[in-house]
Amino acid sequence: MDKTKKMNPLMLAVIAACIGLPFVFMGAPFILLILCYIEIYIIAVSGLDIVFGYCGQISLGHAAFYAIGAYGSVLLHKYYNVPVFFSMLIGAAIGAVIGAIVAYTCSNLVFHFLSLATQAVGEIVYILISHSPGNITGNFVGMYTDSVSIFGFKLDNQFKFYWFGLVCVLIFLALKQALINSRTGRAFMAIRENVKAADGMGIDVRMYKVKAFAMSAFYTAFAGALVTHMTKYASPDSFLYKQSVMFLTMLLFGGTGSLWGPIVGSISVLVINESLRDLQNLQMLVFGVLMLIVIIAIPGGIYGTAKEYYDNLKAKKSAGKTDAGTAVSEKKGV
Amino acid sequence: MLEANGVTIKFGGLVAVNHVNLKIRDKQITGLIGPNGAGKTTFFNCISGVYTPSEGTVIFDGRHIEGLRPYQICQAGISRTYQVINLFWKMTALENVLVGMHPRMKGGFLTDMFKTPAVRREEKEAKEKAYEWLKFVGLEKYANDPASSLPYGGQRLLEIVRGLASNCKILLLDEPAAGMNSGEKEEFDRLLQKILDMGVTILMIEHDMKLVMHICQYIYVLEYGKLLAEGVPEEVQNNPEVIRAYLGGED
Amino acid sequence: MFFTLLISGLVIGSIYGLIALGYSMIYKSSGLLSFMQGDIMTLGAFLGITFYSYAGLPFPVALLLVVLISIALGFAIEKGVIRPLLNKNTMAIYIVLATIAVSYIVQNGSMLVWGTITLNFPSIFGISTIKVGNISFQPEALMCIVVGFFCMFLLQIFMNKTRIGTSMRAASMDAMAAESCGIDVSLSTGLSWGLSAGLAAIAGMLIGPIYGVYTTLGATIGRKGFSSAVIGGYGNMYGAIVGGILLGLVETFGTSYVSSTYRNLIAYVLLLIFLLLKPTGIFNEKAIRS
Repeated sequence: MDKTKKMNPLMLAVIAACIGLPFVFMGAPFILLILCYIEIYIIAVSGLDIVFGYCGQISLGHAAFYAIGAYGSVLLHKYYNVPVFFSMLIGAAIGAVIGAIVAYTCSNLVFHFLSLATQAVGEIVYILISHSPGNITGNFVGMYTDSVSIFGFKLDNQFKFYWFGLVCVLIFLALKQALINSRTGRAFMAIRENVKAADGMGIDVRMYKVKAFAMSAFYTAFAGALVTHMTKYASPDSFLYKQSVMFLTMLLFGGTGSLWGPIVGSISVLVINESLRDLQNLQMLVFGVLMLIVIIAIPGGIYGTAKEYYDNLKAKKSAGKTDAGTAVSEKKGV
Repeated sequence: MLEANGVTIKFGGLVAVNHVNLKIRDKQITGLIGPNGAGKTTFFNCISGVYTPSEGTVIFDGRHIEGLRPYQICQAGISRTYQVINLFWKMTALENVLVGMHPRMKGGFLTDMFKTPAVRREEKEAKEKAYEWLKFVGLEKYANDPASSLPYGGQRLLEIVRGLASNCKILLLDEPAAGMNSGEKEEFDRLLQKILDMGVTILMIEHDMKLVMHICQYIYVLEYGKLLAEGVPEEVQNNPEVIRAYLGGED
Repeated sequence: MFFTLLISGLVIGSIYGLIALGYSMIYKSSGLLSFMQGDIMTLGAFLGITFYSYAGLPFPVALLLVVLISIALGFAIEKGVIRPLLNKNTMAIYIVLATIAVSYIVQNGSMLVWGTITLNFPSIFGISTIKVGNISFQPEALMCIVVGFFCMFLLQIFMNKTRIGTSMRAASMDAMAAESCGIDVSLSTGLSWGLSAGLAAIAGMLIGPIYGVYTTLGATIGRKGFSSAVIGGYGNMYGAIVGGILLGLVETFGTSYVSSTYRNLIAYVLLLIFLLLKPTGIFNEKAIRS
């Protein structure tokens, strides 16, 4: 409880930044665009965090859900005239259903082979959107679409979109936190920690994996729908295998299994990536090197490592105060 | 209450458990003993759903439970602990108990996500109840510590109370006293009595003969997967077959 | 027509097989997945062009040089990246991601050195085609198939009959026990990562003359190599090649007789089908499920 109180000045800074930044950069559309992308990635990566950080199930194919949300929404809008906001929700729901099917069929696969299966799902979706039957997706050319409109109010520039994105981020993060601190969330974590014991404690492991994947896919698919209606354009390029790796990189950069990890990860990776853009041909090379350095140097991620450091500091302090040596925590069985 | 009839478990050609008949009486502690490799844990795994018996039936409260998955058996009212401690290491002691309460809680995926008033109430009550469970075994001071930071004896107790938290009718204990010193064992003896008083039936694998003979009302002895003997402690203790098996096992 | 298809199916199949062999070796020796095989293959092809075409070395010498460099590279990656992570006891996902990072570095590094256009790997044998009856094919194609099978037999013998191979298998089963038996676990896992890189480089040298060499050559092949390994039975040497050949044939014949639009779909659909229905693969390799 007193931790949240101590975090308060930091919280205030975050709130101030969320509200202030778009005004500061009102005249800089490129930076506004980056801010919008950060919001979108926070939703997508938080989704991945549910399935990987909390439930312990790896996915190397989240670009598939990103694509399903995007294309689902665009196609529904284009061919069935579904209003954009509803098409986004339906697109995300389709993503959730596909996620559930993947989880249900793959529930027996352990770590490495789950990563191969999800990678294959990612490739299959990519091939289908780039070689669509009857060219309904515009294949490699892609297709143009409308911006989000809510009750007739069109979010046709980045400044307007930002606020919509912010509301979405808050809703999605709140729902994630609510779920994590509940019976369902504990079941996810129990599966991550020890599948055998979770099964023995009355948790239907397969159904909970399905729930985790469905929710995760919903988040990432909704983020995909957001990105296409922000840029008003969808093409297969944004949904390559690279994208799945990008989500995972962001999650691990930030730290898994937390509220702040995906946020810190999305911001830092996106900022790094954009500032490397001037290097052109070198961009991906330097990105690879940075990735390697972070993996080796701070495997807990930025937020994860900082939090561990902060907790240790606090433990030391309280141990000093009460002069009790019992606070020493030994790590084992991890 | 729980009845195993002719349970046989085969792995390939190997027969690990061979036509075992066993009956657990209501509100008693039944002991399952035998030399190492006698098939005790395999038999446990069969009752708790990890293995499906190749032959035979397991009946619990008049219902066939052989072939059910472990989570279904736990939901039916049989909880267990493991020979090698299987806690959720990075979760706190309180969370471990809360996971144990999983089968008796009602929160669903959507109600959990949208925190309906019913879920809020249930969650609050569950946390209070979980805290009481920790108190029951004297672990309340560790409530918010990760399970991995508990001392060894505390981890054993946490596993037991996690099993109890499901409001089970039968608790299966697999070598619960392993690694305890004599003082802890005495305390453990009292804890088992308290659990019995709550109306929970216990089936226990244990190597410590003193403990078994003292607390169990009825004992089954396994050897090479077969039932060697059964009876009240005095009968088992004086059974020449059992004495031979144990002495034979020593050298 | 049939024979032409058969040969091109076998060619691409043995390439998949060689990549899959590398995966299986790494899995057998360290229980890990590597996502950099494909890009090491590209690197091998580029190095091959450099030594063979630019430096004018004879093909066998160029091949040997490329293989040795790749083995050293694979060994160095295991020692410099994988081993430190394993020692830190990090989650397996970090090792997966580390190999992906290495593949980014290799792919984009070779793009810097050799550029983005497709390079032509000059013919290895003086003649351009062999004619048997009315079937004609490149001699390089034949070499590709022969070398693929040769590598499989060699590896199977190496793993099962030699001392180093045995210690590599022992190290993968129980590192601690192997260590206490006097096996240098660190050396043997390093060696298996090195050998896998060597295999990938051979694949690059073989396919270069047939497909041409470009930076993303290995990316797709690397991913399809996973399908081959799973189809054959992940961790099984024969399975890797058989799975590769099977995938190559199904792809080639499927493309020609059914439809070419979904050529790339076949590998991933097969991967999923095998993972879900027969995860132990054709050779019933038991390693895959927990």
